Amino acid sequence: MGTIIEVKDLHLWYGQKEALKGINLDIQEHEITALIGPSGCGKSTFMKCLNRMNDLVKDCRITGSVKLNGIDIYKDMDVNMLRKNVGMVFQKANPFPMSIYDNVAYGPRVHGIKNKKQLDEIVEKSLRGAALWDECKDRLKTNALGMSGGQQQRLCIARAIAVEPAVLLMDESTSALDPISTAKIEELCLELKKKYTIVMVTHNMQQANRISDTTCFFLLGDLIEHGPTKQIFLNPKNPKTEEYITGRFG
Amino acid sequence: MARPEYDRELKRINDNVRAMGLEVTGAIDNTIHAFSQKDTRIASQVIANDATIDRMETDIEEACIGIVIKQQPVASDWRKLASYMRMIGDLERIADNCSDICIIIKKVEGMKRETGEEGVSVPDVFKNMMLIMREMVGDTIRAFLTSDIELAQSAVEKDEIVDRDFDEIMKEIGKALKNGAKAVEQYEYLILIDKYVERMADHAANIASWIAFIVNGELKMQYTDRYQKAAEETSEK
Repeated sequence: MGTIIEVKDLHLWYGQKEALKGINLDIQEHEITALIGPSGCGKSTFMKCLNRMNDLVKDCRITGSVKLNGIDIYKDMDVNMLRKNVGMVFQKANPFPMSIYDNVAYGPRVHGIKNKKQLDEIVEKSLRGAALWDECKDRLKTNALGMSGGQQQRLCIARAIAVEPAVLLMDESTSALDPISTAKIEELCLELKKKYTIVMVTHNMQQANRISDTTCFFLLGDLIEHGPTKQIFLNPKNPKTEEYITGRFG
Repeated sequence: MARPEYDRELKRINDNVRAMGLEVTGAIDNTIHAFSQKDTRIASQVIANDATIDRMETDIEEACIGIVIKQQPVASDWRKLASYMRMIGDLERIADNCSDICIIIKKVEGMKRETGEEGVSVPDVFKNMMLIMREMVGDTIRAFLTSDIELAQSAVEKDEIVDRDFDEIMKEIGKALKNGAKAVEQYEYLILIDKYVERMADHAANIASWIAFIVNGELKMQYTDRYQKAAEETSEK
């Protein structure tokens, strides 16, 4: 295992407001990295920098560098290639209003795969990878919007992994789910990290504690502390981290 | 986002651990007094009070489990609670050892009254050993209250003195028995008391280790070293 994403002196401004104040962080491959911090601390903004989602935000200015496998994603990488390599799953499941099959096949088709047999294989593999195959193999042609919330979220994960990204970004991806669906996604993350690298934003301290390998604590645009999750939750070095994770502010 | 009720509950538990610590040091003082003065009345009080200490342990344990389930503590809160749950076990064992010693004091004094047998002379080092053990427990309680890991460490270091005294007492008793001492049963009881005091010091050292864990997150249990050393000493040459 080594560093897959290398962030150096990353600053981000929304107009005059500096939302990220010089972040330095190495993200390790095949790990789950949890980004925690109170609302407005910059954790989601930071995560969106990893696949250039902030490019679309008006008046957004970024300095510093983000390298994926050594390549600067802001200078030397095509944004479509970047997003193929860095997939994202959002807080609210957002399946396309089409069949389960077409949702998963969407990405591979965009990237030029037309062969039916090949697409069938990708769809099955992705749905299996998202622990959803057994639940939907007999209704692949039905509309995805008919699935439960937890299933829809796992479908979004299947859709994201269908293009075989290196990194999966998850932005509070279980916050709208019941405990059973949450547990399924968490189990899935532990399985997925064998093949992918996961970066997740979560407001759920227990979730970060349960499944992440590394935890990063953000506050007011600064990365206050990061380290092995066990150390952060057992013996944080910075008093601000301690106050936040013990629920005394935030 | 403050958590006043959570903080109050944590403080309540901390206060109760402190109170249990003070109760146990009181039991040790009474035990040392009962032993040195052959005071069976005080010995009876120590035995009777053991139930109170047991209840304190159970109450603290239940409170710790309750707060863990309800509040899911992490960081220093969790280190404290995990340590409390272990520390109170050691404190309770120290109190049990006090009762064990006091039961022996009562038995021996009763036996002496019944048979007219004279008391055996207790090796001088016995008193020293008991006082060092008492100091260790007192220091660990103070270290706990003040988060003073240096004081806790100094208590751990005193365990070696207790171990040395334990060995010396065993040798002296062995010598007395070899020289044909009468009142063999009294000597047997002295051996038991010797072992109980040595164990009490071990429990104090364990508590001191948990204080270090609370303060800086470093977990190094004394019994690991203790048994490692014993294994080396007893390994076949």
